[in-house]
Amino acid sequence: MSMVNPLILIHAICAEIGLFAFLWVLVEMLNPSETRIARAQVAALTGFACLFFAWLVGGFYYVEVYGLHVKPLIKASDAEWVYSIVMEAKEHVFLFLPILASLTAALLYKYDGELIHNRDASVSIVLLAGVIFLIGFSIAGMGAIISSGYRFALMTGMV
Amino acid sequence: MNSRALTRAAATTIALIAAATIGSELSAAFKQLLSSIGGHHWIGKSVLSVVFFGLLYLVFSKVSDDSFTLKDTSLLIGTVFVSGLGILSFYVLHA
Repeated sequence: MSMVNPLILIHAICAEIGLFAFLWVLVEMLNPSETRIARAQVAALTGFACLFFAWLVGGFYYVEVYGLHVKPLIKASDAEWVYSIVMEAKEHVFLFLPILASLTAALLYKYDGELIHNRDASVSIVLLAGVIFLIGFSIAGMGAIISSGYRFALMTGMV
Repeated sequence: MNSRALTRAAATTIALIAAATIGSELSAAFKQLLSSIGGHHWIGKSVLSVVFFGLLYLVFSKVSDDSFTLKDTSLLIGTVFVSGLGILSFYVLHA
């Protein structure tokens, strides 16, 4: 199991596309017009779909591969904290993202053209999209630490 | 769609995810209960987060009017940061 599993690549790519889609939402909603709102709606739906797919693929990988092959190696190495802190926090904070993404998309479709004048709703969408991007990229950073922890465990002869 | 109810349902669900995460580490029985939902405690939390989000929306839409304001969003974002930092702090302290 020293090869990179394609599932983790699919999970990471989908999640990052999803996060950039919400960055796109944020930018469009800074100065909303009918055209920008329409683009933001497409971006939010794309972002939600990508994050949802990343959830399914990442979940399958986590249960079927990580738990059986990656976690035991990291736990047995000097980088045990990567499992006990970083992975544990990542897998649970990730669960916030689909909820926030669905809410943001729902607000965009509910208020639609009204977002040009409804400042509370448009600022809410900007803030939520920013939070999704911020949390998402913190999680991506944690993913990089976990991959490094796995490589460290392999390199230090724990196989 | 009731925006205020949806925002409150999101905030409550996120707080419940954090509570379930910490609770499952402190109680083996609770972790086992979550595992019984989908074969793994994380799947249990995932399924419950979707179910609770839907149910809480139905409950809040009965009791909330739809006068959505920035205050609702601020409360949600505050809950997100407190819950996220709570989970991270718990694992740092219990590693």
